Amino acid sequence: MQFKAILLGALLASTFSAPVYAQANTDITVVLSEELDLVEPCMATRSNIGRVIMQNISETLTELDVRGDKGLMGRLAESWEDLGDGTWQFKLRQNVKFSDGTDFDANDVKHSFERVFSDQITCESKRYFADTELSFDIVDPHTINIKAEPAQPILPLLMTLVTIVPEETPFEFVRNPVGTGPYVLADWTAGQQIVLERRDDYWGELPAVTKATYVFRSDPAVRAAMVETGEADIAPQITEVEATNPATDFTYPNAETVYLRIDQSIEPMGDIRVRKALNAAIDREAFIGTLLSEGTQFATAIVPPTTLGWNPDLVPPAYDPEQAKAWLAEAEADGVNIKAPIEVIARTENFPHVAEVGEAIVQMLSEVGFNASLRMVEVAEHEQYYSKPYPEGRPAQLIVAQHDNARGDPVFSMYFKYHSQGTQSGLSDPKVDDLIERASAATGEERAALWSELFAYLHDEVVADVLLFHMVGHSRVSERLDFTPTIATNQELQLSQIGFK
Amino acid sequence: MIKLIGQRAIASIFSLLVLMVLVFFLSRLTGDPAVLFLPIDATEQMKEEFRRLHGLDRPVLEQFWFYLQDLAYLDFGESLRKARPALEVVLEAYAWTLPLALITMALVMVAAIVLGSLAAFKTGGFFDRLVSIISLIGASAPDFWIAIVAIVIFSIGLGWLPTSGVGTPVHWILPVAVLFIRPFGLVVQVVRGSMLAALQAPYVKTARAKGVKNLPLIFVHTLRNGMLPVITVMGDQAAALLNGAVIVETIFGFPGIGKLMIDSILQRDFNVVLAAIMVTALAIFIMNVLIDIAYGLLDPRIRY
Repeated sequence: MQFKAILLGALLASTFSAPVYAQANTDITVVLSEELDLVEPCMATRSNIGRVIMQNISETLTELDVRGDKGLMGRLAESWEDLGDGTWQFKLRQNVKFSDGTDFDANDVKHSFERVFSDQITCESKRYFADTELSFDIVDPHTINIKAEPAQPILPLLMTLVTIVPEETPFEFVRNPVGTGPYVLADWTAGQQIVLERRDDYWGELPAVTKATYVFRSDPAVRAAMVETGEADIAPQITEVEATNPATDFTYPNAETVYLRIDQSIEPMGDIRVRKALNAAIDREAFIGTLLSEGTQFATAIVPPTTLGWNPDLVPPAYDPEQAKAWLAEAEADGVNIKAPIEVIARTENFPHVAEVGEAIVQMLSEVGFNASLRMVEVAEHEQYYSKPYPEGRPAQLIVAQHDNARGDPVFSMYFKYHSQGTQSGLSDPKVDDLIERASAATGEERAALWSELFAYLHDEVVADVLLFHMVGHSRVSERLDFTPTIATNQELQLSQIGFK
Repeated sequence: MIKLIGQRAIASIFSLLVLMVLVFFLSRLTGDPAVLFLPIDATEQMKEEFRRLHGLDRPVLEQFWFYLQDLAYLDFGESLRKARPALEVVLEAYAWTLPLALITMALVMVAAIVLGSLAAFKTGGFFDRLVSIISLIGASAPDFWIAIVAIVIFSIGLGWLPTSGVGTPVHWILPVAVLFIRPFGLVVQVVRGSMLAALQAPYVKTARAKGVKNLPLIFVHTLRNGMLPVITVMGDQAAALLNGAVIVETIFGFPGIGKLMIDSILQRDFNVVLAAIMVTALAIFIMNVLIDIAYGLLDPRIRY
C-alpha cells in the first residue's frame, strides 16, 4: 500500500514538474549538431559559424540566390560595375546602421577586408583570395573601387564570402559581433545557447522571427526528438534514420560530393586503364537507398549540378566488372603492377555510414582483382593523406573524401583539387592547369564553357578520380514554420527566410 | 591528518608534473593544430601565420619553457579553437561535471547502501531481486542505449521530461538517472557482499540475541564494518565520473568536461587538453585524500 502511494506521488510530482516550453509564437529554437567555438564574422564561411551569423548578424556586399534563379544579388551593395583593369566599383546601400548604432559606409568595407587579410588574426575567408591582392579606393562614403591583381572576374561573387564589420572592430577575434544584419547577438552562454534577437532598426524588411535560440546536441536522434516534442523548431541536420515523418522532414541536396581521390604519382594509379577499372568496378547504384539516402545522385564532377559550367552531357561510369578485369589484364600485360597494395583511407564520421561505404568499395575493388584494404582514420590523420605534402614512401591510396561547394562557381574547388599546384590534387596535367587558369580568369558564357570543357576532360579523358555521389541532407522543421531547407542550409540559415504558417 | 595531506600533496605534485610533461610533448607529436583549425584548402602562408600567432613555430623545448613560465602564474594559455583562456574554458565545463558527479554519487551511495544492506539481510527477498535486476541492466546495457530509450519513453512518449539540455533542475533528471545505473549496479553488489559477511559476525548475533531490532542492527551496528570495501569501489566510480561522462554529455547536450576533452584532443587544442587533465587530476587527488580520511573515520585501527 505504502509502495503504491509512493509510486502515485512520484507520478503526480513528475507530471507537475513537466517542463513548460512556452515562448512567444514568433520565437524559434534551432538545434545544431555542434557548438560554435567562435561567433566571429570573419569566420562565417565556416559552416557551423555561418549557420548562426551569416546574413543574420553580419551581412555581405553580395549574396547568391539559392532559392530562385536570380543569381548574384546585392545585399549591402546595391550595384556593381566592372571598370576594367581588374577594378570593380561597388555602390553601397545608404541608410544602413550597424547594431551598435554607427552608420555603414565604404570605410567599413575597407576595414573588413583589411581585417580578413591581416596577419594578426586567422580569418577563414582569407583563403578565397589566396593569390589575389586587393586594393581599395574610397570614391565617396557609399562608393568603393576594389582593384584585384591579378584581375578577378568573379570579384562580385567573392564578395559573398566576406562579412562587413564596423571600422572600429579590432584585429582579434570578437565575442560580441556587431553587424548590419536583422539580428543582434543577445546572449551567448558557452556550452548552452546562443540567442539572437531581431533589431527593429534593420535597414531591410523586418523578418517574421523575433528571437532565435540556438542549442547544441551532438546526437541526431536527440535533435529530431527535440523538434518532435516541441523543444526546438528546426534541426537542420538529422540522419536518414530519423527522417521518417513526411510532414516535418525534408531531404535536400547538401552540396557535398563524395569521391575517391587518386594520386597518380604512385603505381599503379598512373595508368589510365587502372583508373578506368577503378571506376568500372564500383556499383554506384547499389549504395543508394541502402547505405546512402534515397535522393543521392551520381556525380560526374566534384561540384553539384547547380554550379556554373556543370556539364549535363557527362555520363557516370557504368558498373562493369568484366570490363574492369579486362582493363586490368591489359595493364598487367604491359607490366603495370596491378597487385600493388591499395589503401582506401576514409575518415570516421565523415558522412553517415562512411565505414560501411568504405568496406563495400574495398569489396567491389577486390572482386575485380585489386589488392585493396580499408583504413579508417580520424580527422587529423586523414588530413595528412589528403593534403600536400603527401607522406613519403606511401603505398597507392584512394582517399575517400567529401567536398562541399554551394558557392555557385567551380573556382572554389577546381584549383585545390586538380591543378598541379593544388593542395589536394593527385594529378599534374598541363591541359588541366591551363583550363583552370583560363576558366578562373574568364567571365560570362566563356567561363561556363571553359569549366564545362574542364569537367569533360577530367571525367572522360584524364579519369582523374572516382567521382561517386552528390549527397543529400535531412532536416526536421516544425509544422508551425514555413521553411524549406535548400542547398545552402549547410552553410547558412537565414532567419529572415523563415515564416510562420 | 595534516601530515597525510602534506605527504599526498607532495606525491601528487610530482605525479602532476610528470603527467604534464608527458602530455605536453606527446600531444605535440600527434599532429599540427594549424591544419585542423584552418580550412582544408588553406595556403601554406596561412598555416605559417597561424603557427606564428600561437607560438607553434618555435622549437618544442622553447614552447615548453614559455609554457612553464606562464604556468607559474596559473596561466594555461589560450584555447586555439575558442580564443579564450584555456583554464576558463575548462573550469566552465567542470562547473557542470562536478555537480553531476556529486549528485550521482550521492544518490548511488544512499541507494546502494540502503538496498544492498536490505538485500543482504534477506537474500532471495524482494530487495535482493530488485538489486540483481538493476545490477544486470547496469552491467549489460550500454549507456547510450539507455539514454536514448529513456528519451523515447519519458520525453517523446510520456512527455514528462525534456529530451536534453541543462536549463532547469528537471533537465538533470534523465542524465543523472542514466549515469546512476552503472555505478549503482556495481556498488550495490559490493555493499551486499560486504554486508553478508558482516552480518555473520558473532557480535551481530549477540546484538540480535539482546533484542536489537532489524533496522538498527543493519544500519547502526553492521554497516560501519561493511563500508570499507564500498568506499574503495565508490572512489573508483567517482573518479570515472570526474573525468566526465562523454556519452551522457553527448546525448543530453550536457556541457561537461568529457566531451570538451575529446573535442580538444581531436582538434589538437593542446592548452585545453593540458588544463583539463590538470584540473581533473587535481579533483581526483582531492577525492583520494577524502577517501583516506573516510577510512580513518570508519576504522579506528587506521591511523595516519
